[in-house]
Formats: sequence, C-alpha cells, structure tokens
Amino acid sequence: MVMSTLTLNTHDSARSTPDRPRISKWGPRLLTTAVLAWFALLILVPTIALTRQGLAGGLRPFMDSLTATDVRMSFVLTLVITALATVVNTVFGLAFAVVLVRQKFHGRALADGMVDLPFAVSPVIAGLMLIVLYGPRGWLGRWLESAGIRVVYAWPGMMLACLFVTLPFVVREVVPVLREFGVDQEEVAYTLGAGRWGTFWRVTLPSIRWGLAYGVTLTVARSLGEFGALLVVSGNIIGRTQTATLYIHDGVESFHPEGAYAASLLLAGISFIMLIVMETLRRRVAAREGADEQ
Amino acid sequence: MALGLALPILGPVCAPAGEPGSDMLTIGAYSVVREAFHDGVLPAFAEHWKQTTGRTVRFEESYNGSGAQARAIESGFDADVAILSLSADLEKLVKAGLVDSSWNNGPGRGMIARSLVVIGHRVGNPKAIRGWEDLARPEVGVLYPDPKTSGGARWNINAIYGAGLLHGDHSKGLGPGADAARDLLARIQANVVTMDASARHSMANFMRGTGDAIVTYENELLLQRALTGTDVPYVIPAATLLIENPAALVESSVDRHGNRAVAEAFLAYLRSEAGQRILYKYGFRPLDPALDVDAARRPLPSRIFTMDDLGGWNRINHDVYGDGGMWNSLFTQPALGK
Amino acid sequence: MSHAARRPSGLLLRSATLSYLSVMVVLPFLILTIQAFQPGLTAFWKALTNPFAWHALKLTFATALAMVVINAVTGTATAWVLVRYAIPGKAFVNALIDLPFAVPTVVTGLMLVVLYGPTSALGAILGQHGLRVIYETPGIVLALMFVTYPFVIRSVQPVLLEMDRAEEEAAATLGAGPFTTFRRVTLPILWPSILTGTALSFSRALGEFGSVVLVAGNRPLATKTAPMYIFGEVESGNLHGAMVVSTVLLASSLAILIVLNLLQRRRGGAS
Repeated sequence: MVMSTLTLNTHDSARSTPDRPRISKWGPRLLTTAVLAWFALLILVPTIALTRQGLAGGLRPFMDSLTATDVRMSFVLTLVITALATVVNTVFGLAFAVVLVRQKFHGRALADGMVDLPFAVSPVIAGLMLIVLYGPRGWLGRWLESAGIRVVYAWPGMMLACLFVTLPFVVREVVPVLREFGVDQEEVAYTLGAGRWGTFWRVTLPSIRWGLAYGVTLTVARSLGEFGALLVVSGNIIGRTQTATLYIHDGVESFHPEGAYAASLLLAGISFIMLIVMETLRRRVAAREGADEQ
Repeated sequence: MALGLALPILGPVCAPAGEPGSDMLTIGAYSVVREAFHDGVLPAFAEHWKQTTGRTVRFEESYNGSGAQARAIESGFDADVAILSLSADLEKLVKAGLVDSSWNNGPGRGMIARSLVVIGHRVGNPKAIRGWEDLARPEVGVLYPDPKTSGGARWNINAIYGAGLLHGDHSKGLGPGADAARDLLARIQANVVTMDASARHSMANFMRGTGDAIVTYENELLLQRALTGTDVPYVIPAATLLIENPAALVESSVDRHGNRAVAEAFLAYLRSEAGQRILYKYGFRPLDPALDVDAARRPLPSRIFTMDDLGGWNRINHDVYGDGGMWNSLFTQPALGK
Repeated sequence: MSHAARRPSGLLLRSATLSYLSVMVVLPFLILTIQAFQPGLTAFWKALTNPFAWHALKLTFATALAMVVINAVTGTATAWVLVRYAIPGKAFVNALIDLPFAVPTVVTGLMLVVLYGPTSALGAILGQHGLRVIYETPGIVLALMFVTYPFVIRSVQPVLLEMDRAEEEAAATLGAGPFTTFRRVTLPILWPSILTGTALSFSRALGEFGSVVLVAGNRPLATKTAPMYIFGEVESGNLHGAMVVSTVLLASSLAILIVLNLLQRRRGGAS
C-alpha cells in the first residue's frame, strides 16, 4: 500500500499543469538552478564518472572484460536466480493480491501488513536470518542437512535471499489496480460462461497488466542488485555462488578492477533500461487508450 | 547450454557423484593467496595429479578474509581444504568438529608458508617510514584491515603489539611492556584511514592511492611486482612478527564428497618442494630455509618474534581481542596511554 | 468470511499464499527475535549497550536523520520544479530520478569512491580544504542521500500534480507573496506526502549496507554503522550480538512502517 502510491503514480509527472508560466522571475530561476545543480551533483556526475571508468579503455576492452570467465559465470548465476525468483514471486504476488482484494477473512489486515515486512529489513539482517534458520545448525537447516540438502553457501540459500527481498513488489503494485478494477467485468464474464480461470486470464489479467509489469520490473531490478544478504549467505564461491554484485565487490578491491567497473556499468544499465522501456511503453499505451476512449 | 547451466548450479545441492576419471576439490582460502593458488599452485597441482594418477581435477575456489572464511566453513560452506591465515581461525573449525585436532601434528606443524609483517610505503618514501614509531607520527595515513573479518589484520596488530611489548616504544621513552604496546597501538590506530574487510581489499585500496603506508604481509607487497609490474617499496621493521599460515583437511566435507585422496594429495603438494617453490615465487617465505635463495637480499630482521613469544594465539585472543581486551579499550578509553 | 473466501479454490489459494508468506517472512522474523532474547534480558541489554553496538546504532540514526532533513527539503523542491516549471530536458531529468532504484547498492558505493575518494580529482580538491568526504561521516550521508533520492520526490509529485491551484491563486490575488502562499496554503496539503517520503527514506537508510560499506571507513566508534557492525559480528562469530542489534533496527523500521500505514489508512478513510 505504501510503495504503490510512491511508484506507479509518479510517471505522469512529465505532463505538468498546462498553464505554467515561463520562467521569468528570479525566484523560480534560482530554485530551478539549485534543484538541477543538486540533481547533477548527486545523480548525474557519479553516473557519468562510473560510465567513464567502465569504458575507460574503450569499447573493446569493455567487451573483453565482460566475457572473462569469472564475469560471465557471475552474470549467468545472477540472471538465473533473478529469473527464478521473479517467476515465483510473480505467481505469489498475483495470487496473494487476488486473496487480499477479493476475499474477506479474519486477519486480512495483518496479512496485508506482513507483506511489507521485507522493506523494513536491512539486507545483512536478511542474510543473518537465513543463516540462523537454514544454516546446518539452524531450526530448519538441521532437518534439511539430514536429508542431504545444503541451503547456505549453495544456490538455494541465494534463491531464498532474493525471494525474501523481492517478495512485496508484485503484490504491492497489483493490489491497488485490482481494487480499482472492480468485480463488475469479472461478473459479466462469469455470466457469459467463462470459467474462473478463463476469466482471470482474459479479463482480469489484461486490466492489471501495467501494475503487474511495473511490479515485475521492480522485482527484477531489485534481485539483480541484491548484495548484502548474498554476502552473508553465499560464501563468495567463484563459479558457484558468486553473483554479479559479489563479483563487483570482490573485483573492485582487486588488482584488476576493470572487470568490476564494466560489470557495474552493465548491471546498472540493464536495470535502468528496463525501467525506462517500461515507462515509455506504459505512457504510449495509456495515450493510445486515452485517444480510443475519446 | 541449459544442461551446462543446470549442472554447476544444481550439483552442489546434493552430494555429487564423481564423473569417471575426474575429481573435484573445493578450496576455502584467505584473500591473499588468490593469485598464488589460482595462477600458480592449482594448475601445477592439476598437472601433478594427472601425472601421478591419470585423473583430472577441477577446483572450486573461494577467497575471503580469513575470519570470514572460517565463519563460512563453520556455518556450512563445504570446503574440502581450509587454507587460512592464522591457526586460531583453524582452531575454530577444530572446535566445531570439522577439522581433526591432530591437524598440526605433522612436520611443519600444519603450516604451508611463512611471511613477515611489513610496512609498505610510497615510492621515494616521502614520509620517511622506517618502523612502527613512524606510523604513529601525525599526518601519516595508515591502512590495515578489520580484525573482525581479516586474519591479516590480526597479524598486523599483533606485530605492533609485540613490538611494544617486547621492545618498547622509544619515541615515547617507554620500555618494553603493556604500556608501550598500548601506546603504540593507540597512536597508529588513530592514523588509520579505513579498515577494509580483508588484507587484499586493503592492498588494492593502497595501490589506488589511499594512505601513505600499509601494514600487511610481505608476500602481498612482493606480489605487486609480479602482478602489476610496479615495485611497492617496503620496510621490514627491526622488531616484527613471523607469520605462519596453516592449512588443513575439512573432515566432514571430504567424507561427504568422497575426495579424501585428492585433498590429502593437495595438502602434501603444498608442503612439497615443488609446491614450496611456487609459493616462493609468489612472495612467501618457504618453510625450509634451504629453499630461501633470496635470503641474503631480504634477511630476517634482528628482533623477529613469533606468536609463541607473545604467549600463543589463545593468550592474545584473550588479552587483545577479547571483550575487555586492549583492542576494544583503544576506542572506549582513548584517554589512556596518550 | 466472504463468498470468495469460502470457495474451495479460494481456500486453496489463501492457504497456499499464507503458507508461503509465513515460511518466507514470518518464520525468519520469529526465529531471529526468539534467539536474540534466548540468553535472557540481561544478556540482551549487555549486548545492546556494548559501546561499539551502541555507537553504531547512534551513528546510523544520526546519519539517517541528517539525510532525511536534507532530503525533505531537496526532494520537495525538486518535485516542485518538475511539476510547476518548464525546464529543458524535463523528461530526461524525470527519468533519471529513478536511477537510484536501478543501481545496485554496491555500484553506488563504488561510484562515490571513484568520484569523491581521496585519490580522485574532486576528492583531492575537497581534501585540501579540509573536507574529507569518503571514509568519514559525510560520505555515509552522501551514500544515503543517493539511494533515497527518489523517495520524497516520487511521494510529493503526484500530490502536486493533482492539487487544485484555486486556493493558491486566491491567496495570490489577496496579496500573499509566493513564500507565504507556499507556507500557508501549499505546505499543509503537501506535508503528509513529504512525511511519507521521508519516513520511507529513513526506514531504508537504517538498513543501508551495500553503498555505505565501501565509503564509510569502518572504524569502530567512529564510522561503523549498525549494518556494518552486524556484518562484522556475524563474520567474527558473535551471532548473538549481531542478532541483538538487528532486532533493534528491525523494531525501528517496523515501527515507522506501521505508523505510516496507520496514517495512510486514516487519510484514505477521511477523504
């Protein structure tokens, strides 16, 4: 509930109020300069500095350092874990959004609040929780060990870490859209004979697709960038549990940091492009739908 | 491609069945041996293993601060061999029942390499660093890592502590004893710019230009010449600590993986002449002084001391790093000893 | 219980999702809290008031507070400029506001060290004037400001957009200057969203690790934040100490989230 007001509504802001004055007075000009200067200093300049550092040797060395074995393995690991975590949490997110919005039951408000819990947890604390619970002497870890399943310092632990930190996103983005959408169209579909699953697939899902897409984008971006929890539970085993973020952390403090800078650029670039593409698509579709309705 | 992806990812979840003719060895090591192992010892051992048994060996490697690595192995990382910076970290694994208590019974007492705690500085030595007391001067920026996570940090701090304890602090007119140790430690710590998570992190930070002096393993500094082509000048303080790095088999892992033979062979190789020569190339001092061909150029310092001279790791871990220890008191009672 | 909730498929869906939530979120929280208090209340207090833990917590709260104060002002100003004024490249700036959401925290730390570290051009200049940023407290605040930059902006923007300007225009015609209008007409409308944004950034800042760990300097009782302290204690085997400080951080973040939720519910109910 909290996150959605923050994120989804924001991107209409480029379309501002129509009767805005051109900047003619010194007050607005000063404010604008201050704001843009702050933006440049805090956001723009570091980004440019990183891009320069990452591409310092030129495009060729950049590509070369990205194809080094360690880097490649770390990215593959990151992408696989991200893909799996996204699929699981999207299914959960959709299902739980339906439960929260369409069902009334005792403890619904509590369940609603609990989804937000991962937002309150520092990544290192999340890692600590996983060690305490799934480590070989942990409450659950003990049983899993005797069944021969190793969770920490192996990919299951990393999956759990990414699942934990990305749990709320899809739920939070879908719930308000689903709530707004209302049951009327769904009822119509039922009366016309579409089954529950058919209704969901062909009526509900399309109407919440932008909320869903945004939630999925946030999930992917967050999972790609997860670091603190992985540092605690992964053991940084090259080729087995070293994700892209761990590779960067490792490589930055090494004698050949070019790979780390290149990887940083790639990782940040992927997430950012995803956000931009999603935003552009959404605005274009909304504009088209707005035109259709008129 | 998908299968190749799935195998390394799914493999370690269950105890892997070995492919015929091939062995797997998982190594949990401290940060500083990365190149020595990855580029030197591991390929050489793979060759040696192939020649002696006809089998290939694949490695899985993890390099972290020694304390962090010991913690990882203790809480579930299934390394077959533990290569750590200090025996106290290995003893943690003994206590957890993962390493046999007889690990240090053999010749060499379980060690694989030696080094010294030294001070690296900038070319031309602009701040005129010659010993510990120079690090305590104002305007000297010092780097060393965090003893919570890094074994190298403990060696460094113990060296400074030992120098004060055994030989006094002449710049303050203090004779050998705890006061001199504390004074030296306090004044040097006050000059520390940042405490990275591992010795390797510290070294990389220094090479990027942070700080005027770095306290670290001698082999780390010698490695720079091999890696980057640049010499990092350093001084060996007259009174400094002899570093000895241990390695041991992690019983629970080798039992689980069924690769005891290759793990034991690996440890033996590290201690063999061939292995020792490789480590020597990467800046370590050999266990056998006869192999130290550079002995004349970098002699052992006159007032070298060992952990035994300081009372052993248990004593130090209690006196210095324990709850009421000297290290904590540097921060909680800074007024003392100034 | 609603009709939907009583259907067998509804029941299945609910039990499946609630089980997932319980195992993934509730269980870890419970276990951590239980184990933090297991050695007893005295042990808990001792671990908490240990000077290193205490200072780390103080530093974390202080830097988060400093960041929040700065962000409240700059965030509101940025949202204002984005909504009310025409500036060249507005779409570009607006898109880049979200950059901190996309950049992995470890990359943020790296960027800041590259740019403001003692060996960089900028850092050297600042150092000559006695302003040391990286490896000192200002570096921590800087990292926090970067990662929480979008929170206040994105919280205030929609409110500004939807705002009815009639009252502002009325105030102007009655002779109020722009500052007075802002203070007495606009701000009362904006402050809940400013509060939301700052509360979110505060909560986030309490737990921030990846960006801070590279820029802070890690010196005990000087520049070691609570998440860094937790990490150090975990790595050196002091799990209980780590759990105690974790519990305190969690309780604080949770309290903020709960208060926020309550406020939002009340506002939503009132309008």
